[in-house]
Amino acid sequence: MKLLVFVLNKEEYLEDVLEAYVEAGVAGATILDSEGMGRFLAYEVPLFAGFKEFMKGNKPYNKTILSVIRNDSVVDRLKKLVDEVVGGLDNPGTGIMFTVPVDWSTGLVREEEEV
Amino acid sequence: MASIRDYLEPGRVRVGLAADGKEGLIRAMVGLLAGDPSVGDAEAVAAAVLERERLAPTGLGEGCAVPHAHSPACSATRLVIATLAKPVGFDAPDGAPAKLVILMVGPTDAAGAHLKLLSKLARYLHDPDFRAAALAASDPSSLYELFVSRDG
Repeated sequence: MKLLVFVLNKEEYLEDVLEAYVEAGVAGATILDSEGMGRFLAYEVPLFAGFKEFMKGNKPYNKTILSVIRNDSVVDRLKKLVDEVVGGLDNPGTGIMFTVPVDWSTGLVREEEEV
Repeated sequence: MASIRDYLEPGRVRVGLAADGKEGLIRAMVGLLAGDPSVGDAEAVAAAVLERERLAPTGLGEGCAVPHAHSPACSATRLVIATLAKPVGFDAPDGAPAKLVILMVGPTDAAGAHLKLLSKLARYLHDPDFRAAALAASDPSSLYELFVSRDG
């Protein structure tokens, strides 16, 4: 079991990304409004205001999608689908996806109810 | 990461520096970089620091400020540190004028290094014991040693 974290910088792709989640077999996910450290520092901390020019082209806000994955193959499928949607996660500024092991959970959608 | 020693010369530290207002202070501190081959047009550097001040104040509060700028006139990052004879307002969040000021200038292509250095300096200045020691420094060499020894 893994926690899949995806920070989606291109928020305009959220709908397509969630469709990819469903297609890949992710039964549920939690979507958080989030913002990058660079944006916060440059726009909210006066000492770092001079770095705004280096933020050009970066998206100020993003979405963080959390989901617990039971089957590792889902991650592989999802990665391919998400790559198609956002144009490749290897491109800077697209998003960050990673997993961490989960050793216990409760409250998840039951396996037999998963889509 | 480079250390403060890489950016700060002992001769660019002052205790009880007298300056007339923010602009005068910035010009005086930039003036301490005279003769440094990595800092070209001092007027352009001072103008960049003042322009950066107009964007947002660099007063951190608790009597400290870190005016800074990137400038094409600089080919390397340099620091100047001074305690002031008379506090100077830097529009700090707590309204307290600055008694300890660190000027940082550097080239336009070193944003990452500047961000790290600014963060490090802010961390030092947020430490009440360090601030008190800096403000109590009786001579430039003590103040210089305080910063480089804090840096490890």
